[in-house]
Amino acid sequence: MLELKNLYFTVTGSEENNGGSRNIIDGINFAFDDGKFYVITGPNGSGKTSLAKLIMGINPVSEGAIIYDGTDISALTITERARAGIAYSFQQPARFKGITFRDLMTIATGIDDENNLLDILKRVGICPLSFLDKEVDTKLSGGEIKKIELATTIAANPKLAIYDEPDTGIDLWTIGPMVSLLKKELAESKTTTIVVSHNRSFLEAADVVIIINSGRIVYSGNLEGAMPLLDDLSVCTYRDSCEGDSDAGCYR
Amino acid sequence: MLDAIDKTLLKTVADLEELPKGAYNIRKNGKLLSRHVSANINIETNADETGIIVKIKPGTKNESVHIPVILSQAGLYDVVYNSFIVGDDAEVTIVAGCGIHCGTSDPEGHAGIHEFRVGKKAKVTYVEKHYASGDGKGRRTLNPTTKVFLAEGAHVEMELTQIAGVDEANRVNEAVLGPGSLLLITERVLTDGDQTAVSTNNIVLSGAGSRANMISRSVMKGNSRQTFYATMDAQNKCYGHIECDAIIMDNGANETMPSLKAGHPDAELTHEASIGKIANDQLTKLMSLGLTYDQVCQNKKDRNEADVMFGDHLKI
Repeated sequence: MLELKNLYFTVTGSEENNGGSRNIIDGINFAFDDGKFYVITGPNGSGKTSLAKLIMGINPVSEGAIIYDGTDISALTITERARAGIAYSFQQPARFKGITFRDLMTIATGIDDENNLLDILKRVGICPLSFLDKEVDTKLSGGEIKKIELATTIAANPKLAIYDEPDTGIDLWTIGPMVSLLKKELAESKTTTIVVSHNRSFLEAADVVIIINSGRIVYSGNLEGAMPLLDDLSVCTYRDSCEGDSDAGCYR
Repeated sequence: MLDAIDKTLLKTVADLEELPKGAYNIRKNGKLLSRHVSANINIETNADETGIIVKIKPGTKNESVHIPVILSQAGLYDVVYNSFIVGDDAEVTIVAGCGIHCGTSDPEGHAGIHEFRVGKKAKVTYVEKHYASGDGKGRRTLNPTTKVFLAEGAHVEMELTQIAGVDEANRVNEAVLGPGSLLLITERVLTDGDQTAVSTNNIVLSGAGSRANMISRSVMKGNSRQTFYATMDAQNKCYGHIECDAIIMDNGANETMPSLKAGHPDAELTHEASIGKIANDQLTKLMSLGLTYDQVCQNKKDRNEADVMFGDHLKI
């Protein structure tokens, strides 16, 4: 349903390369099958989010093609891709003063009927009904806004759902239900699901684990096969400047 | 009689499809069109016939009064002085608003000066919408003034909105808060083209334990300009907050001047003000939900999407 063909995302003026260009995504070829659960993982800075953003159209394709349901969507705008059935859940969701969760749900679904909205909320389950009239502003906690982000993504009934680190800021006891929810959506609506995550719960739920390193896919397959590589890659890329995990200086 | 234009204006400014239940007073082209009073809410023309006096009996619960004004007469500038006397412990919703339809090149305008005397522990919700339409080139002016006096423990919530089409607005809100009273004002103003709007707000926190929150949301499209002044004058132990957000689109311009005056050592006053374009991450998020860049940024014919986009800014 989604095929990446010789895909590149190149930035110019990178510091590491004396102002020259650098391939953040460096020639990726991969085919995503309909209705499967994919988890993309890899070290920090390996290009996971960049790849997810390429698929949604947030990053422009430098070279190559993205084929979605048989059509090359590489030149389509974010809006056109959204309308074609791709939904994206941001790692750091935008906050809006004066816009409520209800407003976002209405844009995502086109539904403003109270009962229908409540039905969707019940289906999604992750957000209490009291969230509906909360403003999606800076007063929300990191966990709350992530739940809202997830709910709006699911509510849009996408054919392809991309979640960038959905567990950031989420309490530990919500991650399990979150994984089950994505699996349930996949089972019921055949939503092809791509999750960018380091979290073991997501990795264990995956049909296919994809490991990215330095902008290339270095592995795709089951979790068992991924483990040796993951152990090798688990060395933090910020080790040189590390001040410890619990310290504010942690860059991960 | 209400014609099609009148009906559209009434629907837009007062959400009325037909004559409302309860008390109402509809004014058209400077004259009384229709009036209805209820057992608890009386409406009468004031002594010098320049407006109405709305009296709400103490203890009235869950009643509403609609007092829309519509204007479609070329060259008319209608000025009206309305007084609201809300009895102690009453709970009432007042829906005002003015709709102008301009079909010629002559100017049309309305100035509604509304004074509220809100009794002890009374609760008032005041909703006011301003809107102008029509193909005429005549200048449309709407200059509303509200003056609110809150007695001890009174609670007043005001939603003041200028939706669209108003060429010039000079908006004034004044309030004096008694002990333990609460005032919440949300003002939303949208301007486009070469329109201008000035909003001047003076809130005096006079009583001990009084609280006020003034929220201003403005959107400037085209070459329009808006100026916002807000002063919280604290004369007692009290709490006051001003929050003003202005979103600039196209070549709009904005000046925002919040001002805090603490005349008492226990006064707590805060303000937040911001002016800017829609942030990139907000734009991307809305596009990822299927809105086009134009729907987010440009003239939006489909009101639902516009409402959602600016939430508070355009919600009507």
